[in-house]
Amino acid sequence: MENLITALGLIGTFEVMIAISIGAFAGIIFGAIPGLTYSMALALMLPFTFTMEPVTAISLLLATYIGGMTGGSISAILIGIPGTPSAAATVSDGYSLTKKGDASIALGTAVIVSTIGGFISLVIMIVLVDFISQFAIKFGPAEIFMLVLFGFSTICGLSERSLFRGLVAGVLGLMLMTIGTDEIEGISRFTFGSTQMLQGVNLLVAMIGLFAVPHILEVFNLRLNREDKTNFEVDIVKTKLPSFALLKKYFNLMLRCVGLGTSIGAIPGSGGPIAAFLAYSHAKNSEKNPEEKEKYGKGHIGGVVAPETANNAVTGGAMVPLLSLGIPGDPATAIILGGLLIHGLSPGPMLFIENAPQVYSIYLAILIAYLVVFIFQVNFIKHIVKILKVKPHHLGVGILVMVIVGSYAIRNSFLDVNVMILMGLIGYFFNRIQLPVTPIVLGMVLGKTIESEYRTAMSLSAGDPTIFFSSVVSLLFFGLIILTIALQIKKRMQDVKKQKQLKEQVQI
Amino acid sequence: MKLTKKIVGALAAITLLFAGASTNSFAGSHSKFPSKTIEMTVLFGGTAKSVGQLVAKGLEKNLGGTVVPVSRPGGGGAVGYKYIQSRPASGYDIVWNSNSVSTSHHRGRTSFNYKAFTPIAAMSIEVPVLAVKSGTFNSVKELADYAKKNPGKLKVGISGKGAFTHLTSAIIFDTLGAKVTYIPYGKGKAPAELLAGRIDAAVQWPGQFRSFHKAGQLKMLAVTSQERIASDSSIPTMKELGYKKVDVTMWRGLAAKKGTPKAQIKALEKAAEAYANSAEFKAASKKIGFTINYLNSKQFGKQIAKDDKKIKKLMKDLGLAKKAK
Repeated sequence: MENLITALGLIGTFEVMIAISIGAFAGIIFGAIPGLTYSMALALMLPFTFTMEPVTAISLLLATYIGGMTGGSISAILIGIPGTPSAAATVSDGYSLTKKGDASIALGTAVIVSTIGGFISLVIMIVLVDFISQFAIKFGPAEIFMLVLFGFSTICGLSERSLFRGLVAGVLGLMLMTIGTDEIEGISRFTFGSTQMLQGVNLLVAMIGLFAVPHILEVFNLRLNREDKTNFEVDIVKTKLPSFALLKKYFNLMLRCVGLGTSIGAIPGSGGPIAAFLAYSHAKNSEKNPEEKEKYGKGHIGGVVAPETANNAVTGGAMVPLLSLGIPGDPATAIILGGLLIHGLSPGPMLFIENAPQVYSIYLAILIAYLVVFIFQVNFIKHIVKILKVKPHHLGVGILVMVIVGSYAIRNSFLDVNVMILMGLIGYFFNRIQLPVTPIVLGMVLGKTIESEYRTAMSLSAGDPTIFFSSVVSLLFFGLIILTIALQIKKRMQDVKKQKQLKEQVQI
Repeated sequence: MKLTKKIVGALAAITLLFAGASTNSFAGSHSKFPSKTIEMTVLFGGTAKSVGQLVAKGLEKNLGGTVVPVSRPGGGGAVGYKYIQSRPASGYDIVWNSNSVSTSHHRGRTSFNYKAFTPIAAMSIEVPVLAVKSGTFNSVKELADYAKKNPGKLKVGISGKGAFTHLTSAIIFDTLGAKVTYIPYGKGKAPAELLAGRIDAAVQWPGQFRSFHKAGQLKMLAVTSQERIASDSSIPTMKELGYKKVDVTMWRGLAAKKGTPKAQIKALEKAAEAYANSAEFKAASKKIGFTINYLNSKQFGKQIAKDDKKIKKLMKDLGLAKKAK
């Protein structure tokens, strides 16, 4: 209690409030613009925080992180290009809603569920930090491998048209991830002797290319063919926010996604994208009504609620490995860790004892940041939806510039610009032959983790594969994998049977 | 349309920015140094980047010009070193370098070695530390006895094969005369893996273990430098414990492409010295946990050469050495 009061004193200053507002705003902007990422906003800000008071500095960084996490959904929903990997799962339903004219409802829902998700996960984290960090330690390489494998098995079922098409794209993602320096053995793979290629394919760069370039090409294509209209079903852009009844209907789903997001966030080495995709597939699979289920992927609000709740719930969960173990979950939290260290706050058990007031300030800063982000975004929606009134080819030019600048700026490397363009052409080609691109992103997100955890586990056991079945946690995930695959096979066989029956009926 | 205008305006601004940047970098270079922005290439993230950013700010203050730290990660430093080699030797492109100049060359990732760079000044060293879970081994001797009795059984966590922590571990366990198994895992996971008991020992940076050491959950056994480090002065050195051959530190400093005019090197060296002696750098060293170790251009050159020999031999012994094509 005493610590909380001290923390209130630390956080309740004018500078801290300004810092949180600036951070939240910059995060939203960088998160929302395709090509710019909030990791970039954090990296740009870090040097300025060196001379600030520790609490002000950390508040600024945390607010940027949170603003970015929620901001990523804006471009995913409005133009179908995710601003961050965590928002990739929101694209299919969010963008479909926009095409139907319900952009503001999708955006409003995303903002509200993000805030709720972040809030609840933070409270869970504050209350259960010791318990969660004990739980997190239980996840060794073998357990994380099984978790990610489970992720793969659920997500395979997500591909809309055919499992085969989804797998083709997913495997391409896995293959792309093997290019570059292999961190474990330190050897170069598929670099063809080029030093630049040692950098490998960056996930963000690939994602920008895959989603943005096909969009731009499509827009210019329409323009060249003099089809000067948008591909939206309605022209009027409403600015209505979601109703309370709508949110109430999905409250249970939200709670389950918060649990999912917080747990995934707490496990070292996983993160936002995995949580978002798992939540999405959970929402789809738990829908009982077949008519409603059919709507997923074509503009179902549940397809926005689930991933957006889960990816923001990750922010609370991710604070556990960050503060109690010093393990950053993604590039963004790695920069925040840098900020903590520079101000002499080294993560670990003593942080909660020696720097308790600062830790409580971190909690409070996150809470306030969510409030500020919420207020900003709700007021922002009215204006941001107007971007849909801009002629698509004008918008396309703007996006083109941003994605080129953005992909260069991630690592100051021209390789990344070339990779972005190449990935964009692959994305365009995939759209043409109706292969989904989201599994490529998934393959890339999960690929690195699954490979390195597998190899670390195998070197821990000196090559004995039984390590994957030697703990309760991994056995549990193994059971879930078997169950998921069995259910998918069963469903697909039923579908085939149904079609056969239909055909026979027609023939008769 | 209003928004279209805004977008066009934004585009124009971006174009101007680019144009500004490019004219800037081709401006006259004969007059006063620095007359334009100095770009400092940073090769890694984490502590390397944080300290690099601080040093860039410090140089700026003492040099009276702009110094911008720019991240060029990848290939264990190779990407950034190669970038510097592709630039003119004008003093406007410098690199925040480290032992990685030797490791990336002997790994076969760069065709050039440390001689392709002119040292400016060494700024800091970071010292790896050997740590175990509390209650398992109480001293380096206990660890060594166990490892010798059970060859290959002790699992030692490192960041990756050929990483600096791997080289350090190899020196430690060679000196102890023990055969161990190295477990490469992702960065930063050492404390969690030790606590869970999946690995028996780990060689990492003190900052990662400090909080757990104080809480009594992990135990830092020894540091690998010749002298104790200021941030963790209670931890003995391997030398004190009788393993005199262990002397490994990660140095960081500034270098430019070979052929950079002497006047430029001198100006940068002077600015680096001033910052190395500042109270600000001292405060940062305590917080982040590195040791200030200023060396001038000449001394720094000697250190790099001495270190390169050591790393070359070590990587050959470990079977990691490779020649660049």
